[in-house]
Amino acid sequence: MITRMAVVALVIVTLALFQTAVFPYLTISGFRPDLLLLVVMAFALRDGPIVGLRVGFAAGLLADLLLDFSAVGITALVFLGVGYIVGVVRPYLSDESFSAPLVLSGLTGFLGTAGVAILSGLLGEQPFGIGLIVEASVLVALYNVILSPIVVGLVTRLVDRFPAQGLFAAP
Amino acid sequence: MYGRRRARVLLAVLVLVSLVLITIDFRSPQGEGPLDKGRELLTSVLGPVQDGLGSLVQPIGNVFTDIGDLFSLRAENEQLRERVDQLENRTQSIADLERENNELRDLLGMRERAGFDVVVARTVAFGPSNFEWTITIDVGTDDGIQRDMVVINGDGLVGRVIQVTPGAARVLLAIDPNFSAAVRLTRTGAVGAIDGRGGGLMRLETLNPEADLERGDEVVTAAYSNGVFPPGISIGTIDTIGETTSVLTREVGVRPFVDFSRLDHVMVVLHRPIADLPEITIDPGIPIEPPDPLPSPTPDPSPSVSPSTEPSP
Repeated sequence: MITRMAVVALVIVTLALFQTAVFPYLTISGFRPDLLLLVVMAFALRDGPIVGLRVGFAAGLLADLLLDFSAVGITALVFLGVGYIVGVVRPYLSDESFSAPLVLSGLTGFLGTAGVAILSGLLGEQPFGIGLIVEASVLVALYNVILSPIVVGLVTRLVDRFPAQGLFAAP
Repeated sequence: MYGRRRARVLLAVLVLVSLVLITIDFRSPQGEGPLDKGRELLTSVLGPVQDGLGSLVQPIGNVFTDIGDLFSLRAENEQLRERVDQLENRTQSIADLERENNELRDLLGMRERAGFDVVVARTVAFGPSNFEWTITIDVGTDDGIQRDMVVINGDGLVGRVIQVTPGAARVLLAIDPNFSAAVRLTRTGAVGAIDGRGGGLMRLETLNPEADLERGDEVVTAAYSNGVFPPGISIGTIDTIGETTSVLTREVGVRPFVDFSRLDHVMVVLHRPIADLPEITIDPGIPIEPPDPLPSPTPDPSPSVSPSTEPSP
C-alpha cells in the first residue's frame, strides 16, 4: 500500500515537473497540455471514483501550490470533480476500448481547463476573456488527446504492477 | 453500492476541505498567508530539479520551436522590414533627442545617470497553468533579489518578482492579467497604465482618454506606483487603437517587444521601490494655544467724567 502511494506521488510530481520545465518549450499556439489532469483521468478510468477523487485532490493541490494568484483549492476542487465523474462513468465503458480514453482525455481537458479558469475568475482573480478560455480549453483538450496513449499506458502499467487494494479498490 | 456511498462521502469531505483551503487562501494577504509558506517550500524543493530538467530538455525544445518558427518566418520578415522602416524614420528624431538630452544634462549640471545594477538569471520553469503567466528563475535572496524587483531582458520589460526564496524567485510576466504598470508614451509623454491580457497584445489605458495616440508609438515604464518600475524601460508599441466609448475609455492594444515564449535568460534590476510615505497624523495631545490678542490701543489719559461725590451747594 505504501509503495503504491509512493509510486502515485512520484508519478504526479514527475508529471508536474514535465509540465513546468519541459512542455513550456513544446507549446501549441502558446498553450501546454495539462498532464496532471490527464493523470487524474487515467487513474480514475483504471481504479474508479475513490482513487480518482484522491489523485484528483492531490494533483490539484500540487498545481495550486505551484501557482501564485489562484487561491489554493480551486484546481484541487476541479480535478477531484473530474476524477469522480470519470470514475463514476467507468463501469459503462469497455476496458478494451481504445477510443474511450481518447474521448475522455479531450472532454476532461476541455472541462477541467475551462472550469479552473471560470472558478478563478468567480473567486476574485482577474477574469479571463471568454475567447481566451475557449481557445486554451480547446488546445489543452487537443494536446491531452495526443498525449493520452502515453500517459494512460504508463498509468495502466503502474496500476497492473501496483494494484489498488482494500479501501482504494474500485467499487 | 457500499463503494458508491463511500465515494460520495469522500467527495463531500474533499470538497469541504477544498472550500476551506480556498477560504483561508482568499482571506490571507497576498504572499503572507499560511499557504504561501507551502508555495515557497515547493519552489525551493522543485527549483533545482526543474533547473536540471529544463537544461536537459531546452535544446530539444528549441529545435521544436525553430521548426514551428519556419512557418511564421515570412510574416516575421515583413514585420521586420516594417520595423526597419520605422527605425530609419526615427534616426533623425533620436539624434535630436540626444542633443537635447545632453544640453539639458549640462544645463542642470547632472552627472550621467548610471545604468541599472542587474543580476543575470536563467529561467528554470514556467507556471503549471495555462492561465497564469509566471516563470521561476535561478536567483533568490542569496543574490540580493527582493520581492517587487523588476525583471527585464534585452528587448524590454519581462515582469516583476512576486515570490523569493534563497535560491529561486518567481516572476509574474507582463502579459499576465494580474500584471499592471504605470507607463508613458515616448512621443507625446502621455501617461497611463498597462496590463496583461494573457498573451498577445497588452491593454493600455491612458489617463486622458482622448490622448493623442498613433499606431507604432513606443510605450515605456513610468516611475509612478511608488517607483516599483524604474522609468524608461521599453514595453512595446501601440498596435491597435479602438474608438472612445461612452464611458470615455479606449481599447488600446500594445504589442510587447519581449518574446515571452523565449525567456532563457533575464536580468533582475536591483532597484528598490520607494517605501510608502508614512501617513500624516495630528497628535491631539499638543495643546493648541490661541493666538496672542492684538495689542489694544493705549488708554486715553483724558479725565473721565465721574459722578461727583460732593454735595452740590
